[in-house]
Amino acid sequence: MCGIVGFFAKDGGQAEIGRTILGMLRALGCRGPDSAGVALYGAPDDGRFVVRVKLGDDGDLGSRAHQISSRLESFSGVSHFSTIGAYARFLVGGETDLKRLTEAIESLDKDFEVVSMGHRLEIVKQTGSPDNLEKTYCVSRMKGTHGIGHTRLSTESRVDLSHSQPFWSHGSPDLAIVHNGHITNYHQLRRRYEQHGVRFYTENDSEVVAIYLAEQISKGASLHEALECMLRDLDGSYSCLAATERELGFVKDTFALKPLVMTETDEFVAVATEEIAIRSALPGQYSVREAQVREVRVWQK
Amino acid sequence: MRSGDGEINTPAQSDGHAANGDLLQSSGTFKPAVIEDIQAKAASGLYRIRGWGTLRERRWATFDDLTFLPCSLTRIPLEGYREKCSTKTVLGTRFAKKPIELDIPVMITGMSWGALSYNAKVALARGARTAGSSNTTGDGGMLMAERENSRTLVYEVLPSRYGINIHHMRMADAIELTIGQGAKPGTGGLLLGSKVSDVIARQRDLPIGVDQRSPARHPDFLGPDDMIIKVQELREATDWQVPIFIKMGASRVFDDVKLAAKAGADVIVVDGMEGGTGASPAILQEHTGIPTLAAVCEARAALEDCGLYGEVQLIIAGGLRDGVDAAKAIALGADAVYIGTAALIGLNCNRALYVEDYHALGTEPHHCHHCHTGRCPVGITTQDPELMKRLDIDEGAERVANLLRAMTLEIQMLARACGKSDVHHLEPEDMAALSMEASMICGIPLAGTRKVFGR
Amino acid sequence: MAEIVCGSRDTREINAEIKQAIAAGDRDIVVKDPGARHNLGVAVLAPVRIRFAGSVGYYCAGLSDGPHIEIDESAGWGLAESMLSGEIVVRGSAGNGAAAAIRGGTVVIYGDAAARLGVSMKGGTVLVAGNCGYMAAFMGQKGTLVVCGNAGDAFADSMYETVCFVGGRVGGLGTDAVVESPSQEDAAWLDATLAQYLPKANKRGQDFKKIVAGRKLWNFDKREWKVWQEAL
Repeated sequence: MCGIVGFFAKDGGQAEIGRTILGMLRALGCRGPDSAGVALYGAPDDGRFVVRVKLGDDGDLGSRAHQISSRLESFSGVSHFSTIGAYARFLVGGETDLKRLTEAIESLDKDFEVVSMGHRLEIVKQTGSPDNLEKTYCVSRMKGTHGIGHTRLSTESRVDLSHSQPFWSHGSPDLAIVHNGHITNYHQLRRRYEQHGVRFYTENDSEVVAIYLAEQISKGASLHEALECMLRDLDGSYSCLAATERELGFVKDTFALKPLVMTETDEFVAVATEEIAIRSALPGQYSVREAQVREVRVWQK
Repeated sequence: MRSGDGEINTPAQSDGHAANGDLLQSSGTFKPAVIEDIQAKAASGLYRIRGWGTLRERRWATFDDLTFLPCSLTRIPLEGYREKCSTKTVLGTRFAKKPIELDIPVMITGMSWGALSYNAKVALARGARTAGSSNTTGDGGMLMAERENSRTLVYEVLPSRYGINIHHMRMADAIELTIGQGAKPGTGGLLLGSKVSDVIARQRDLPIGVDQRSPARHPDFLGPDDMIIKVQELREATDWQVPIFIKMGASRVFDDVKLAAKAGADVIVVDGMEGGTGASPAILQEHTGIPTLAAVCEARAALEDCGLYGEVQLIIAGGLRDGVDAAKAIALGADAVYIGTAALIGLNCNRALYVEDYHALGTEPHHCHHCHTGRCPVGITTQDPELMKRLDIDEGAERVANLLRAMTLEIQMLARACGKSDVHHLEPEDMAALSMEASMICGIPLAGTRKVFGR
Repeated sequence: MAEIVCGSRDTREINAEIKQAIAAGDRDIVVKDPGARHNLGVAVLAPVRIRFAGSVGYYCAGLSDGPHIEIDESAGWGLAESMLSGEIVVRGSAGNGAAAAIRGGTVVIYGDAAARLGVSMKGGTVLVAGNCGYMAAFMGQKGTLVVCGNAGDAFADSMYETVCFVGGRVGGLGTDAVVESPSQEDAAWLDATLAQYLPKANKRGQDFKKIVAGRKLWNFDKREWKVWQEAL
């Protein structure tokens, strides 16, 4: 259970998405004191991929980062390797075999996890409050076109970085989700996916949303269609936001169990669990309404 | 409508033989009670409804699986009567300006005026007051007579919101936000038509005589994240003065208690599987929720896990029968206990009075759980004024007070035997387990070994 | 008239200032920049006028008895929940559970209402100029609910005695909901009420559909299998 936010700037690619999404998350703090995270879509970098790797929750992160940078030497086109907080970040060439890269990194240490991969997607998340997130990672400096964010109140699974949101759909560049609610047929779905060789990184039911959407999209569905299919296949309560390289979308469950409000102006789209998040981050005159039951919307660049 | 209870009296066979001398053999799977249940459903096309809680015989770990280890050589017991053993209980110290202070750790749980008669509600209130304890309203709202006759009154805010009244809330000493109850967690209340009398219907804003089925969910919040805001609303509504309880039927207790603590509860109430109710579909009473013993252990572990044990108080409920159960619950981590069914039994429920009326219900004293019919022979769970007359308020109040006092003496006796000058000093280490399951569930060594099993 | 500026203060401080103003005898209060905070104006028990010049969050005007409260923009969940009496007006739209469990009073929404409008209502009047969402009037016990626009799916599900009127389309009827034509008294009441609270609604009472409970869920022994399958 949590707070989710989404922001989509209609013009240009230099909107202050980091600052806006952080501001929205701060206003939702009481809903989710356990962890905070953002998935931001920055300026594209000539076809290369941005990769972020979780180094671990504690321990000697420096030497761990070194393990990764050494391993990366066998890949071409790697650049801009850096370590901030619990993450290593680097760029790789657009033709890189991403699956091989992921396996190469994650096989080094059981704590390593590729947290996000994409032309423009960067996920930054950790335990603690949005203020904590800002302190460690200076999220507010990031500019781009759109993003989603999440503050978490842990219900049934663990509180650590990997179990926090947003979730990247592992293997699908640029696809990220945030979810407020609880998928009640999670275990059933998970077993079915695992039978087909899909790996789950957490016991957090929200993870299955990322996996499900990736599956639908890989079968040819648009983001809009994939979100609609969720209403048929995923049971329980959810207000979900999903983002791709150029899109931001949401879906609200069949019984309207979790809140989600939205506003759209000529300049931007903002979606959040509560209106207070939108008002505190985005000044101006606009009206806000609650999304309706089973409503699906997608905005595209 | 057919009232059934899933139990029949097997015809008395002195030697288990049929009339012709053949040996009678019943199936362990299709027991007589099961046969009756299936046939009743074949006749009615509806699930069974009855009062009380779980009746089906099964095996699960209860408070009976624990025994106390009184002082002998390693520890010194306290003398009864002279060396004091305090029973004072304070609840709601976390955030409330006015925590509630009780003389004893046994409280009367919420039971609806509707399920219960007016006389029963007032007798419970007065009895609790005499004993220095608290009373709780219930589904349907508050009776003014309850407030007038209670020393400390807890106001329940339930999913149905029947009779919800801000003025009554502001008269209460605590607000209990009820998510569910032990007898039937995850579902709403039930009051059959014969008990939705003129006066009850008016209180609840319902048509007279409907088979009232309450909603399972609160109308204005649907998750722990929204509940955080609801708790704050209740604080605003009561000027941040009184404690806010959050009450839940025992289901995923470990997760639920942590969430309730994070949501800002002053006191958390966990109501176990053995808890009773005036009316419910029988399958819910039998097959939902976890036992009270397991619930208290999970609840305490949850509060320890989020570092709030001792800061957030814990009330345990669900079929507690006597001071022994209460003492064990306290030793395992409860700050206080609620009684419901036991309080009604003290009030004359199942007493051998007006026996012909028990027969008319198809039961006998000591076997009755027919609250849902509204034909309670002793005037407790009825809205019939003639039946209600059979429960004299002052006599009833005295019986309730006696029961509460007797239970308190039992708790004190056990506490003193364990060397405690305060009942709240009872600890898990004061007990031993009599079964493997209890050892595993409670983290207490199995008597005869020095081992805790399963951890 | 008292003016309260929220600034960066929290709900508790703002509500305390509202109560102080009422205690000091102010009968007309404006609250500026409410910023969609939660629990504003909860348990106002005096016949005062309060205007929130902006949006409010959850439970605005909840547990109230007597006030006239206006909200310039939108409201979150549970607007006026459990109100005993009063008039609550929202110029924007309202979130889930608006007028939940109200026992009296009038709730007016100029915009749209989201899901579960008037859930468990036990009296009072709910008026929506726009549309309402999923499962409005669910388990409605008493009172009247009026939607000038369209109603969503599962409308008036499992009701007791609440009477509903819809000016536009009904997306889907809930369990045990039946459609009737409004009587002359109904039409007259609608005309008068809309004239008072929603004069711009531009609808005639006689054009509304009336939806009430079919009463098939009221007693177990009068049940019909088809209806009960949905209702448990």
